[in-house]
Amino acid sequence: MLERHDSSALMAKGLAVGYDGAPLVSNIDLTVAAKGIVTLIGPNGAGKSTLLKTVSGQLAPLGGAVWISGRPLERLSAHERALELSVMLTDRLKTELLTCADVVEMGRYPHTGRMGIATEADRRKMREAMEMTHVWDLRRRDFMQLSDGQRQRVLLARAICQEPRLLVLDEPTSYLDIHYQIELLAVLRELVASRDVGVLMSLHELPLAWRVSDWIVCMKDGAIMAQGTPSEMCVPEVIDELYDLEPGTFDPVTGMIELGKRAR
Amino acid sequence: MQELRETDEFGSVARRTRVTAVFVGLAVMLGACVALNLCHGSVSVPLDELGQILWGAQEGGTNAQVIWSIRLPRLIAAGLLGGALALAGFLLQTFFNNPIAGPYILGISSGAKLAVATTMILVIGRGATTSSWMLVLAAFVGSLATMLLVLVASRRTASVSSLIVVGVMIGYICSAITDFIVTFASDAHVVNLRSWSMGSFSGTSWANVHVIAVMVLAATVCVCALSKPLGAFQLGEGYARSVGVDTRRFRLVLIVLSSLLAGCVTAFAGPISFVGIAVPHVVKRLLGTSRPLFVVPACFLGGAVFCLFCDLVARSVFAPTEVSVSAVTAIFGAPIVIAMLVGRQRRGY
Repeated sequence: MLERHDSSALMAKGLAVGYDGAPLVSNIDLTVAAKGIVTLIGPNGAGKSTLLKTVSGQLAPLGGAVWISGRPLERLSAHERALELSVMLTDRLKTELLTCADVVEMGRYPHTGRMGIATEADRRKMREAMEMTHVWDLRRRDFMQLSDGQRQRVLLARAICQEPRLLVLDEPTSYLDIHYQIELLAVLRELVASRDVGVLMSLHELPLAWRVSDWIVCMKDGAIMAQGTPSEMCVPEVIDELYDLEPGTFDPVTGMIELGKRAR
Repeated sequence: MQELRETDEFGSVARRTRVTAVFVGLAVMLGACVALNLCHGSVSVPLDELGQILWGAQEGGTNAQVIWSIRLPRLIAAGLLGGALALAGFLLQTFFNNPIAGPYILGISSGAKLAVATTMILVIGRGATTSSWMLVLAAFVGSLATMLLVLVASRRTASVSSLIVVGVMIGYICSAITDFIVTFASDAHVVNLRSWSMGSFSGTSWANVHVIAVMVLAATVCVCALSKPLGAFQLGEGYARSVGVDTRRFRLVLIVLSSLLAGCVTAFAGPISFVGIAVPHVVKRLLGTSRPLFVVPACFLGGAVFCLFCDLVARSVFAPTEVSVSAVTAIFGAPIVIAMLVGRQRRGY
């Protein structure tokens, strides 16, 4: 009954997530369609990262069930999981004497043989991914010598060339200026348009979430407060409640801020 | 031409050339160190005579005796154990994601020393003799116990430098206890114990060499086979897990292998400092990459060259008196570590 539930990239039913057996968020129902981008928004500490870690298999679920492209997550071995989903973490990566190509090549890990030597086919996939994220020209540079924006794009290329059905990104736009933020999200749109992959990510920037997402999930106080299309979610009523704002402080679509409302 | 450009778009040809050059260079240096170590000493053996002795053309002479029963086993031990130390260092650096981790600085060598000294005194005190295997086992248990102690402590301290401080402190404690034990031991076995506990390759027998070869080569083959997950681990545990590494099992394997390698060295040569940090660092710089596929074998070769060189220095500088090899490795190794830290700071790592 649990085999091949449906063809969504990700499906979660009644999922509870948290650390050390204490649920932080429970009763999560979530679907990421293939070729769809789903974005989690909400205040700090709402459990966005915890949820992303759980669906990507880094953290054990505390209840409910998760299917990755129709297969139950807990039945997948680490290797099988790596063939279905790849991640981009918030950890600031510290490497030593690794070129960008080396870092990207790590995405081919589940596909290479016993000694991990990349074949010509692997190299082609790496090149495709690096061209998609515009880092092909950086391939021979030392990863540590790049700017934050370049590093994020290299890490995205790494995640893409792993050829997942589901891509999980935890705040991919942090450390980036607006130019790189837009560029990164444009790459994600291009990715879902050209490949059979679903994207699940968390974002802090509401105007960006509004533009890039097919579906937005609002998380607050240990639950999913609301979810829907961007035009349903990015309205002042939802956002004000989500972030405890006085009405009229913030326009989620334009990003315009009105100060001093609280004083009135 | 087109094909050449195709295959080298990732710079793999350039990298392969550089890696080959490094391996050739290391092999030449290894050859030179082997020849020097065999020829040089209280009796010097000319190179052409050495060839005859090694081919078995000349038997029974004093020189043949010196080469076959003293210098050759010592040479093989120094080479293999040096390689083992460098590998243990590389494994620990990967494990802790810390470039200054190593078996000596983390106190693992001292833990092994304590276990070996205790075993020696207990066993010899009862009138029995210690076998090589028994000492290796004791050293392995000692390394493993210290490693676990360091791990527990490092879980509670987040910072990279406090890991090192904890290791150094544990090392001091183990050395202090060893000193107590040695003080209360009877004189007869203290003589051996003292030179060993300072670090020395002298007095290695062929029986020791057999045990060393089996242990070190087996562990090295295992490490080579782990090149792929080691590479994934360099991007951190999160990414390693996400590409399918069973990180829990892999960590366990790393602990066992590094304890085995470090323990084996301590059992036969005592604690030897800085090889585990200096050699992997220099090797990575020379190779221009930290890909384990290249670094692991190069580390082994580099460790062998470094220890052979240091052993040569240790027994020739103040000949006929021998200096402890650990003092020599410290003199050459510690500045490399300092230079590495300074360079790292400058590059902003």
